[in-house]
Amino acid sequence: MAALLVFPSPLPPLRALLRRCWGRLERGLLPRWDLPRWDLSRWDLPWGPALAVQAPVALPEAAEGAGEGGEEPGSWEGVLWMAAPKKRRTIEVNRCRRRDPRKLIKVKRNIDVCPECGHLKLKHVLCGYCYAKVKAETREIRREIQKQEGGPFKAPTVETVVLYDGEQPSEKDEGKRIIERARKRPSWFAQN
Amino acid sequence: SFLSSPHFSLAGWARGLLGWARPERLLTSGRVFPLSCIHTSAPLEKLGKWEKKNRIVYPPQLPGEPRRPAEIYHCRREIKYSKDKMWYLAKLIKGMSIDQALAQLEFSDKKGAKVIKEVLLEAQEMAVRKHNVEFKSNLHIAESLTGRGQYVKQIRYHGKGMFGIMRLSRCHYFVKLVEGPPPPPEPPKTGFDQAKEYVQELRNRTITHSL
Repeated sequence: MAALLVFPSPLPPLRALLRRCWGRLERGLLPRWDLPRWDLSRWDLPWGPALAVQAPVALPEAAEGAGEGGEEPGSWEGVLWMAAPKKRRTIEVNRCRRRDPRKLIKVKRNIDVCPECGHLKLKHVLCGYCYAKVKAETREIRREIQKQEGGPFKAPTVETVVLYDGEQPSEKDEGKRIIERARKRPSWFAQN
Repeated sequence: SFLSSPHFSLAGWARGLLGWARPERLLTSGRVFPLSCIHTSAPLEKLGKWEKKNRIVYPPQLPGEPRRPAEIYHCRREIKYSKDKMWYLAKLIKGMSIDQALAQLEFSDKKGAKVIKEVLLEAQEMAVRKHNVEFKSNLHIAESLTGRGQYVKQIRYHGKGMFGIMRLSRCHYFVKLVEGPPPPPEPPKTGFDQAKEYVQELRNRTITHSL
């Protein structure tokens, strides 16, 4: 319809609106005054009853994309739904996250002093210094045992007793294997 | 002659000649011939700002002034650790007494904890020997910072011929020990204080273009 409508348009927004309406009319559409202005996607639809048609939703390419699943560097179907950061995280935001109290190292309240040697130890853990002393002495005793045995798989079927300088085997130690250590008995190794 | 007189000693003359040079520096780097003032090694590394802070000398205090507490600056450069991870340890020991800091670091599982412990022990030793600190436990950590060291890039090989570029990061660690007990921790800011500050800020506003 090529009618000539001439009338004064006092305000610029009104002029722009009328220009848009005229454009739509030229294209064969009528403005949809009943629809809200923010729903502009439906303004351009042809005026008429809207039909709801049941159509198959899964198109061949979409089905292929769903079937692939994983992201390959070459295919482009997964790009639209992969999570990606929208904006760069500023250093202020990064600092808030990195310096949050739950990320800082917590002060330990279970540190005590070992009564034997005076070094620091955790309450539920053996003292490191005392354990190192015991380990060293055990290593020497094992060396003595190896020297006595002279090879693997030669352990006797009797108990072992460790005797230090100036100690004699008692009557309880009859029949036991005796290991001699050439030093004073350490204070933590009790003799029964 | 003067050379054979009892008032002249060769050692004293040589010492006077080399008086401008610090002897410990010359002994550690290169060989020094007693009568030459040049040493044959490469020059020592450029001293950073933190190392130079130990050299400031204050004028003697007046009788009425309160005693200025001793300050000891120490640092270690190019530690093979990340500066962000080291920062958490530095933040842990900020404001603690040196004994408490050493205890916390001893039982920390982080790699940087061992390094910081060594640095603190060195600084404590320095304080007692050179900076006139009487009790080695009477020190607290006033500042503890980390800095970025030099980074080296390396290739990390992935599958299918892909590669990534790896960065080996290094960091510096700086610590300032001050003599005296640690300062009491600040009480946390209450809502009432914040509200008072807000009201004060509103009251401090000036109305422009007014009478």
